[in-house]
Amino acid sequence: MRSTTRLRQLLREPGIVVAPGAYDGFSARLIEAAGFKTIYMTGAGTAASHLGQPDLGLTTLTEMATHAGHLASCVNVPVIADADTGYGNALNVIRTVREYERAGVAGLHIEDQVAPKKCGHIAGKQVIPAKEFADKIRAATEYRTDPDFVVIARTDARAVTGLDDAIERANLYAEAGADMIFFEAPQSEDEMARVAREVGAPLLANMVAGGKTPPVKLTDLERLGYKLVIFPGVAMAAAVTAIEHALTRLKDTGSDWPDGPVLSPMDIFKRVGFDWWHAIEERFK
Amino acid sequence: MTKTTTRLRELIRSGKPVLVPGCYNAMTAKIFETVGFPAVYMSGYGTSLALLGMPDAGLATMSEMHLNARYIANAVGVPVVADADNGYGNAINVIRTVREYVQTGVAGIHIEDQVMPKRCGHVAGKQVVSLDEAAGKYRAADAARRELDPDFVIIARTDARGASGGTLDDAIRRANAYLDAGADMAFVEGPTSVAEVERVCREVKGPIFYNQTGVSPRLSRDEMERLGIAITIFAGAAHRATMQAVYDFGVALRDEGPGAEARFIERFAKHPIGNVHQFAGFDQIRAWEEAFLPPDELAKYQGSVGHQPDKAGGPRSA
Repeated sequence: MRSTTRLRQLLREPGIVVAPGAYDGFSARLIEAAGFKTIYMTGAGTAASHLGQPDLGLTTLTEMATHAGHLASCVNVPVIADADTGYGNALNVIRTVREYERAGVAGLHIEDQVAPKKCGHIAGKQVIPAKEFADKIRAATEYRTDPDFVVIARTDARAVTGLDDAIERANLYAEAGADMIFFEAPQSEDEMARVAREVGAPLLANMVAGGKTPPVKLTDLERLGYKLVIFPGVAMAAAVTAIEHALTRLKDTGSDWPDGPVLSPMDIFKRVGFDWWHAIEERFK
Repeated sequence: MTKTTTRLRELIRSGKPVLVPGCYNAMTAKIFETVGFPAVYMSGYGTSLALLGMPDAGLATMSEMHLNARYIANAVGVPVVADADNGYGNAINVIRTVREYVQTGVAGIHIEDQVMPKRCGHVAGKQVVSLDEAAGKYRAADAARRELDPDFVIIARTDARGASGGTLDDAIRRANAYLDAGADMAFVEGPTSVAEVERVCREVKGPIFYNQTGVSPRLSRDEMERLGIAITIFAGAAHRATMQAVYDFGVALRDEGPGAEARFIERFAKHPIGNVHQFAGFDQIRAWEEAFLPPDELAKYQGSVGHQPDKAGGPRSA
């Protein structure tokens, strides 16, 4: 079954779907191994891991789609990928949707920021007119080649034009054909509840530790009516801390042996599919 | 050997208009170099059409453009001037764009003042950003190349002449402001008459880059020298010539069958670049094999069927 169809099935089942954020193939593998049914490709993590740059609209469509393809090809669960603004106007969005479809991801989200965009949780964002963005969503849904490909509309308007306008925008984008609404950076649980009450579409919640939205328990998100929750930074934040710790240790002690259990190279290879490849090697030797 | 960026600067200062044909890939760049042009131009229109099969409407990404530029720069020894559209975003994106293009090995780029997404300079419906915003992008481009290669040439292109409600006055004013901001050359896109080109050459205070295509007049070498044009590009040269040749060949093959291919090969064999294997560089490969591989390895050529490369590296290796 195609990953797009699997993602649609998952979203139709009862309960909230949790998609931890992967920033590369390695983290995608670990998320799948941990038992999560879907993976989110973070754009901020792609910029940070792939380019070593902040999330300021520096990554190109080519880099994002290529990276998404690498993630999607190393796991069996559906991948939902960040597609920033769609990299231009409605015409660019058509190309973006097709490139992401070819990359093998199950869905993407496109936001109503001006290009180049900024991370949803930092100051200085700007949004384009609601009608213009609704047309971009219409272009995305009309020109996807796989009807099951999931198009998620993200509004960044909360921090720019306020809660009322952002809710109005969300409903306009849903009418334009978005399968799901990603209401970026509500500032309290009450706001999240109001969004859930007033937006007439399946909803994505974005949980970013240290971001503008307070942490809300999964059971509460589910009760409020959110269908999908992403944790974009979970793997990257953990990696940053762990790598910094290991490097400090190396500097201080001159050794890369950790305090706790040691991961051998094979322990690591096994996490990226060694056994699968080894079985194939045995069959064809 | 002198860096290509330095050589491009020498060409700009030569006092004679330099004719630079537009290519769209490494092969067409090699053809123009073989013909003897001192520099080649990478067309964004041609890249978009050849690489994506799409029109020049801001659909090609910076990654695709600089990758093509890199293939071209790697394929030729002459300086390459590459199209970098509007720098793919704001001043911050321009910094990344300049860095990426410097790494490709091209000698210079042009960046234009159109909004995102841009479109071909000779198709109606263009829009430009404010002069101040554009000037900030050229300041950013100037700063970025100074860090990596001060000789890297930044060409500021203004599309204000052909933009909705645009005027030549505005285009000239912008070109001068962009030169002040740190650009090396001014590229006023789309003047529609010789009189307009004359005004540009008179009133813009810097070396002039002229695109001889679309709505703009065709000028002789003498006219360009009189006007003081430093570089002129023929942006669509390679893709137009290729389109015609490939289409005509396709029609002949469809209508006349395999004989059309045989007749073409017979004619092409007498063409200056009709020895395709030699043009592609197999002589160089053979010469490297002679120099660097174990002698036993060369036995593979004995009694083997097909083109035998020249082990001296062929006529172009001198």
